[in-house]
Amino acid sequence: MAMYALAMTDAQIERGLGPADSEDPSSLIRRVAEERDKGALAALFKLFAPKLKTMMLRLGASDALAEDLVQETLLSVWRKAHLYSPERGAASTWIFTIARNLRIDQVRRLSNQPYQDIETLELELDAPSSFAITAQQEIVGRVKKALTALPPDQQDVVRLSFVHDLAHAEISTKLGIPLGTVKSRLRLAYDRLRPLLEDLQ
Amino acid sequence: MTIAHHPDIATLMAFSAGTLDEAFALVISTHLAMCEGCREVVHRTDLIGGALLEAEPDTRLSAGLADRLFAALDDDVSVAQPAPARRSVPDVPVPLARLLPNGLDNIRWRFTGPGVATAELPVSKESRSRLMLMRVAAGRRVPEHGHGGNELTLILKGAYHDRFGTFAAGDLADHDEDVEHQPIAEPGEDCICLVAVDARLTFRSRLIRTLQPLFGL
Repeated sequence: MAMYALAMTDAQIERGLGPADSEDPSSLIRRVAEERDKGALAALFKLFAPKLKTMMLRLGASDALAEDLVQETLLSVWRKAHLYSPERGAASTWIFTIARNLRIDQVRRLSNQPYQDIETLELELDAPSSFAITAQQEIVGRVKKALTALPPDQQDVVRLSFVHDLAHAEISTKLGIPLGTVKSRLRLAYDRLRPLLEDLQ
Repeated sequence: MTIAHHPDIATLMAFSAGTLDEAFALVISTHLAMCEGCREVVHRTDLIGGALLEAEPDTRLSAGLADRLFAALDDDVSVAQPAPARRSVPDVPVPLARLLPNGLDNIRWRFTGPGVATAELPVSKESRSRLMLMRVAAGRRVPEHGHGGNELTLILKGAYHDRFGTFAAGDLADHDEDVEHQPIAEPGEDCICLVAVDARLTFRSRLIRTLQPLFGL
């Protein structure tokens, strides 16, 4: 660890990658990428595995399948850590997208790869924002709070979509509301969250 | 390329959530490949998923799970490389290149009506949506139709106009089931679109309805 600290540049220390911040999940991913640090992966496991399992169970997965998907997600974190760039988003955002892609592969076995192709393209084309890494984490914190402050009917559609993996038409059936209402509630929710989300820019 | 028409934010949220059926997800990813602005929006909608993950309560893990993970690491030497940049195909954005390795000039079109041809593109068996290319000859119109379900139309080449405006390459029309419209291709060039539908289109005109089986739409 000490060697690593000495090898870091001032800029890196300023951006919060130092061992002092070792609990920050994005620096944990950085350590997995750069040092193949299993301790850092263990810390990520501790932070995210119990939450990922909750999310997988909500999809109706059995306990065993949920844990398989959790393990696959953490394995992908291990294999893909070097593709993560903290300037592009918070650790939890990245881990969410990995879990989502695994879920899609597992359940639907697509013959096309819409998500992977876009990820590749972004790495090629889009410059990461110059936004501070710590700010990304703060934004997630604020969004998390704002989500709980949404009117309950908006919260419901957002959660059914992102957490319960229901398509708009399925949400419409489940709640007994027209498809158009599902969409307008999602739009309203986004409008409420937008000022926080756009802080990213 | 100036893109004027974008997906509904609710559609981009569904893309982030991972709930779009395959053909729809593919049309959206093809639009994203053409539209940097929407790629930024999807970063923001992904963040909603991350925040919800962080907010989840913990579920107890079975005792051996961490050990299993680390045992799997020891057996695992693979480090994912960024997928190699796809062979670029002229006029074909990356997510479509796998389906159209020969570009837009070598498609086996099927006549589906005066001035209109379509070509079905393969999606996986479980898919509940259909993906197709549609070509409208320069200056020709698509029969007026409503939609039995959602429809996404992404313009790949040429342009058309309808009561919503002019749609050119990169533009995406995100229509609800209750929308009716009658696109007319701009003169000068055939308009080629990528279309996802989750139900058979319901054509309004009676004549067209009798022709519908022939259209294969």
